[in-house]
Amino acid sequence: MSFQIPIGPQHPALKEPVGVRVTVDGEIIREADLRLGYNHRGVEKLAEQKTWTQNIYLMERICGICSHSHATCYVQGVEKLMEIEPPKRGLYIRILVSELERVHSHLLWLGVAGHEAGFDSFFMYVWRDREIVMDILETISGNRVHYAINAIGGVRRDLDELQIKHILDSLEVLRQRSAYYEKLGTTEPSFVARLAGVGYLSREDAIELCAVGPTLRASGVPMDVRKDDPYAVYDEVPFEVCTADSCDVLGRTVVRIKELLQSYNIIEFLLKNLPAGPISVRAPRRAKPNEVVSRYEAPRGENIHYIKSNGSDKPERLKVRAPTLANYAATIKMLKNGFIADVPLIFAAIDPCICCAERSVAIVDARTAQERIVTMSSLRELSLKTAKHQARKREAEWPL
Amino acid sequence: MKLGVFIPELLRHLFKKPATVDYPFQKLAVPPDFRGSPYLQPEICIACRACERDCPAEAIEITVTNEAEKKFNMVIHNDRCIHCAQCVDSCPTDAMQMDNLFEISDYNRQDMKKRWDFVRAVVKPKAETKS
Amino acid sequence: MATLKTLAYLILYPGLLFIFFYSTFAEWYDRKLYARLQNRMGPTHTGRAGVLQPIADFIKLMSKEDIVPERADRGMFRALPAFGLAIVSAGMLLLPVWNYSLSNPSATSFSGDIVVLLYILSLPTFIFFLAGWSSTNLFSTVGATRVLTMLFGYEVPLFLTVLTPAVLANSWRLAEIAAFYRHHPWLALLNIPAFLIALICVQAKLERTPFDIPHAETEIVGGTFTEYSGKKLALFRLMMDVELVVAAGLLATVFLGGFPGGLLPGLINFIIKTLLVIFLLCLLRATTSRIRVDQVISLSWRYLAPLAVIQLLVIILIKGLIS
Repeated sequence: MSFQIPIGPQHPALKEPVGVRVTVDGEIIREADLRLGYNHRGVEKLAEQKTWTQNIYLMERICGICSHSHATCYVQGVEKLMEIEPPKRGLYIRILVSELERVHSHLLWLGVAGHEAGFDSFFMYVWRDREIVMDILETISGNRVHYAINAIGGVRRDLDELQIKHILDSLEVLRQRSAYYEKLGTTEPSFVARLAGVGYLSREDAIELCAVGPTLRASGVPMDVRKDDPYAVYDEVPFEVCTADSCDVLGRTVVRIKELLQSYNIIEFLLKNLPAGPISVRAPRRAKPNEVVSRYEAPRGENIHYIKSNGSDKPERLKVRAPTLANYAATIKMLKNGFIADVPLIFAAIDPCICCAERSVAIVDARTAQERIVTMSSLRELSLKTAKHQARKREAEWPL
Repeated sequence: MKLGVFIPELLRHLFKKPATVDYPFQKLAVPPDFRGSPYLQPEICIACRACERDCPAEAIEITVTNEAEKKFNMVIHNDRCIHCAQCVDSCPTDAMQMDNLFEISDYNRQDMKKRWDFVRAVVKPKAETKS
Repeated sequence: MATLKTLAYLILYPGLLFIFFYSTFAEWYDRKLYARLQNRMGPTHTGRAGVLQPIADFIKLMSKEDIVPERADRGMFRALPAFGLAIVSAGMLLLPVWNYSLSNPSATSFSGDIVVLLYILSLPTFIFFLAGWSSTNLFSTVGATRVLTMLFGYEVPLFLTVLTPAVLANSWRLAEIAAFYRHHPWLALLNIPAFLIALICVQAKLERTPFDIPHAETEIVGGTFTEYSGKKLALFRLMMDVELVVAAGLLATVFLGGFPGGLLPGLINFIIKTLLVIFLLCLLRATTSRIRVDQVISLSWRYLAPLAVIQLLVIILIKGLIS
């Protein structure tokens, strides 16, 4: 007997609304379908109404966990448009906050994976140690989330000796705790039994379905924007790309823990080799007409911003391709032939940031293969017109 | 079986102080550079309107009350403010500053707005301005 | 005099009042311990150190709106919480705390009452299944089928391990089993493997981590309790607390030597021994993560049931050697 279970849009397993509709046969999933758009806020349209400086704060608020990645990707693009080069110290501080954000995001993910698997003690311990990172970020930038440390042309705040020493001391504590979590997360029998063999994505599938980030690297493909297309100071900083070969959720956990340890090394290198000098250069108010693509390795994968300017002080078009959007197709493939009990884990393994991925909808007409972008108001009128003519159903079903 | 890997650590925590604090009866201190709400020092403001232009949330409103006597009125809409401190960076004379209050929620929007009436100061702006 | 004693037994201790207050205290103890193991604070501020928190939760739930889904089976949906609470409270009456005498079996302590208590403890599983089934919600149905699937796993090892000390003590009466182990404490040590297996099976019966699959919050919303709200949910949660105390009391009677000494020393004994069992259950809950339903079945039939059978055989051999 097969019936369809909706997971979402409101569900305790999901941190943000997304509609996953799985067709199950007992406990095994046969088909999966994703419904998006519940979190669409019109960020790209709003960005066209605000100046270059105001947009930094708008881009930050696309996401709470990876806020610095969106702001930095945008600022890198705008600096290329305005043809200004930020000073070395500014770049070092920017990348320091990037790596701290990667640490906090991976620790958050570890806790969430523990919570989805029911391992609440692990969740509480990891998040207690994440507080150390949040406190460091609060001391550097003035806020725990939405750091707003970027300005066009560099950064806004400087580091002093006391803060550097505080960060280096906290790094020691974090390294020790992370080594313990690595041992625990990969050897606790009930936890590993939930993670191993779940959400299998072969190497060929991962490349073909354009997966990004740890989802891709856990299938053995060593692709990382920091190595393939180095931006800021990544060509000077020594680090390794972390991969795993097991192609399942356990592999993704291992990749993230290895990246955590790599980030500690990068942070230590940056702090010990921080150059002296100014932290920013002055940016003009307008940018020349041009277009630019900016890539960045967010904790979840590759983040792409496309910015087009037309000579005024506001962008003409801003397009965001967040990493979670690229991982959706791979998720559908992973969900098939799994158990219902694994749905939260598989979904959490791609580290979903639904609000990063909600952008406008393109409707493709199946018969004529024509594309059109539809505004919300015309969709609403269309739906009201169609609904008026249909009889009210007592048990409505989702039309698949 | 490796079931006992976690148990000693768990039992050790029975005797440690908890990591959480009993808010609101106990509060943690915020660092000195914390970005709270913006406020104006009216003696040094030159009413250049740079903060009004750069605010992403349109939370600063400067109106002229008396043109001849150079009197201005500034309203900071703290309910719209996103606490980004761009106004502090844009201000050429350091008249805008941030405090470090974070418990600013209220039942009424109108109570959250702050107002100043001031006369425009005659102060030389600093040589380099932060962008 | 006898009627007065019976009334006190039914209403005061271990009757309804004691059940209510002690099971809410046991829930507070469990929650506070779980929180302290995880380096956080647990309930505070309601009453001294949060002791009144479960009672506050109960009162809050009683005052909330009670919604019956349109397509649910009305009669069963409404009656099940009250039935469940009545059944587990009846189980509490069979524990030998006072008002029993070893030589004369009475209505609350008779030969075979260990089997009756095990039967009473397996009825809540069916009540959960019927609650999920009569809700006619997709998530409740999945939760209900998971409850029954788990029953096929842990019931056999639970019965085997709880009846093993009864075999050694040569009696089917809880009071006599407890008295036997008080007089021969070395023989109680032989039952330790059975105690450990019984702990795991009781954890599965109470649907706590690692076996809280039927109401796994992150997977199927509320599981069997998705559609319950208000007074019915309050009664279900109270039922789960009372089930915790009854199961802990059963394990304490059979393995840890019961509650000797009459009224007051018996009460202190009861509290100490049940809190010890709940401590072990809470430790098990904090250490592990949730496992899947098929893994429960394979775990119980591959490890728990054979170990329980081996333990029973060893006990039978030892009994033959002693006599």
